[in-house]
Amino acid sequence: MRRVTGGKRNAKVIGQVKKQKPVSNDNQWVRQLLDDPSLAADMNYNKNQLVTKTKANSLCVACKGGKFLCGKTRCPLVVRFNSYFRSATLLQGTDLDGACPPGVFVGRIGYPHVYAGPLVPPIHEDTSSYDEPESWFGKSIDEIVGFRSLLVRGKHRVHVKKFEDSGKIMDQTIDLALSVSPVDVELSLKKKPAAALVLDDQIQPFGPSAPLKKMRVSNSRWDKHIQKAYFDDDLNASEAVTSLFQDGTLVTKIQRAFSVGAFGLKKQRRLVPTRWSITAVDSIISKGMMEKIKTFPEINEYRVYESNYLDNRFEILMMPREWGYEAMEAWYPGTIWNPSSTDVVLFSDWEGFDGRTTYASIGGCYYAARLAVGELLIKERRQASVIVLREAHPGYIMPVGVWQVRENVRNALHQKPLKYNTLKEALARIGNQFQIPIKQWIDKSSLLQNALFQKRITDYLRK
Amino acid sequence: MFKAKMADAKFLKDMMGAISILVDEATFDLTPEGIKLRAMDPSRVAMVDFEWPKTVFNEYSCSETMKMCINISELLKLLKRTGKDESVELSLDEKTGKLKISIRGNYSRTFNMPTLEAMDEEVPTPKVNFNVSARTTTQGLREAIEDASLVSDHVRIEADNERIVMNAAGDIMGAKIEFKTGDDVLLEMKAKEASKATFSLSYLSEIVKASVPTSEIVVMEFSTDMPIKLDFQQEKDGKLKFFLAPRIEVE
Repeated sequence: MRRVTGGKRNAKVIGQVKKQKPVSNDNQWVRQLLDDPSLAADMNYNKNQLVTKTKANSLCVACKGGKFLCGKTRCPLVVRFNSYFRSATLLQGTDLDGACPPGVFVGRIGYPHVYAGPLVPPIHEDTSSYDEPESWFGKSIDEIVGFRSLLVRGKHRVHVKKFEDSGKIMDQTIDLALSVSPVDVELSLKKKPAAALVLDDQIQPFGPSAPLKKMRVSNSRWDKHIQKAYFDDDLNASEAVTSLFQDGTLVTKIQRAFSVGAFGLKKQRRLVPTRWSITAVDSIISKGMMEKIKTFPEINEYRVYESNYLDNRFEILMMPREWGYEAMEAWYPGTIWNPSSTDVVLFSDWEGFDGRTTYASIGGCYYAARLAVGELLIKERRQASVIVLREAHPGYIMPVGVWQVRENVRNALHQKPLKYNTLKEALARIGNQFQIPIKQWIDKSSLLQNALFQKRITDYLRK
Repeated sequence: MFKAKMADAKFLKDMMGAISILVDEATFDLTPEGIKLRAMDPSRVAMVDFEWPKTVFNEYSCSETMKMCINISELLKLLKRTGKDESVELSLDEKTGKLKISIRGNYSRTFNMPTLEAMDEEVPTPKVNFNVSARTTTQGLREAIEDASLVSDHVRIEADNERIVMNAAGDIMGAKIEFKTGDDVLLEMKAKEASKATFSLSYLSEIVKASVPTSEIVVMEFSTDMPIKLDFQQEKDGKLKFFLAPRIEVE
């Protein structure tokens, strides 16, 4: 396209590309906030550093964080701004050095040509928990957003299958992914890291990112179990994942190595976008557990486990029956996945004794909770039919990731269960804890309907 | 000693296919008179009752009564390798506990597979007074169940002296399927009293679908809120029956 320069403007601009999304690039509210001289001077703010976008008719524009039009108890954008203000002063130049927790990120946009690279915060403290969700349970949303937005994501474009000979940056990324503890890293970036503050409540809190020019990694030590699997070209990926988990390796560590293609038969190795790798690992591990669980004796009573974190309330019901699993989620009006309707929305997905072959419609949470459930049953060497019920309330102001479900369910299962002799009593307890009437849950739950209504042949054998 | 030969390997494959719908590890009773199996699925919602007297086989010898437990899905994998006009011979080596499967056709091959620890559980069949009895074509029943499966997970079956009506109600759609006396699919209909009961469609459809290759006519018996019995009539001797417990919605 011919560029229209200043001066004479007689030529018509033709062939202008239509904007794909209804986005107004410069959101005045955000700009006004940042144009406040005292703030801007403080952080040496420069317009190019921040991308602000919003949907055309977003409520946020009208609300400006003051009216809570979305129904949440706090404004998720204000939470994100706060942490942005705090971290922006640390992220000024194109050079950055800090202790990589370790953490890496593989994007999914453009698959199979994806951006892979390290996550590095501009600080030299003990950052080991920054990319380890196992240690986040109990932290507030502000804390989590706080340290997550310090993690600068260096980006390097690679093909998922040709990553092994795509240069030093990729090799170093793999090196970091397999490291056991924080590693000092120096990044030199092609641009200043830009934070994307998208005015949209569905985006996970995320730090700034920039394309990588070069990086230097100081000496790292690898996790020895992971290292062994990495050098084993004949071990297929799912066996590697399962055996690492059995050796006590953290799910996060397995998942990080999985995402950089560290496991599997030599020719089949590839990068796996972080988001997919989390669910893949949860799914592989719990699938192996299920086969074992099916051979164990059934529990003797009805059990209810409970947990509440970040305004996500979990009730977990275990029934003394053959293995079966169901995950149900209820989203209040005004919560993340149900912003506009006035009704509660209930989702459910389940599997029977024979497992499932299709991807669960409710997504990664299904597999994350299944893993946590599997851990308990394996530990007790028992079998049960398990329903994970989740009520998300408006205090859950932004999605923080699937780990929240895994850790919340784990926390519930670490408590002593409430035990009942009948399903009716167990359901009464759950009904008391939840705001949504138990009947609505039953109407949507295949496993509960089965337990309540489906007779068994054994009911007719003795007469 | 147990040895049995069948000229048509497909027949064995189809029958094992039907049993495998409910049972993964199947314990067969081998007796001098024939083989049989009675087992429930892991959820104990359905039961299969199968029997082949020795007359079904071309050659049969079994010296004493014994139990043999095998993994049916593994056996099916082997039997899937059989082609048209091939014969199959099963023999149990009691010393090694291995089941030998010899398939003869254009060429011959022999597989062997391990037997598993037998379940020592005798299950009786459910005692039910059936008020309704209907003879239908297996294919007709299969189609009807597939129609109902389009809209719901379960179906209410109602019957009187003239007809069977299947009602399926889903969240948004519904279906009503009717077999009347005189229809090609309904061969015979008897009802001591009008009855109705609801059943899981996933079980019904799997059972009927898998039994179609073994049987052309099925006798369906049930009573209000009682298990249903599906007796798949066999061309030769032998029986293949399924029982399925009902779904009873309270409140």
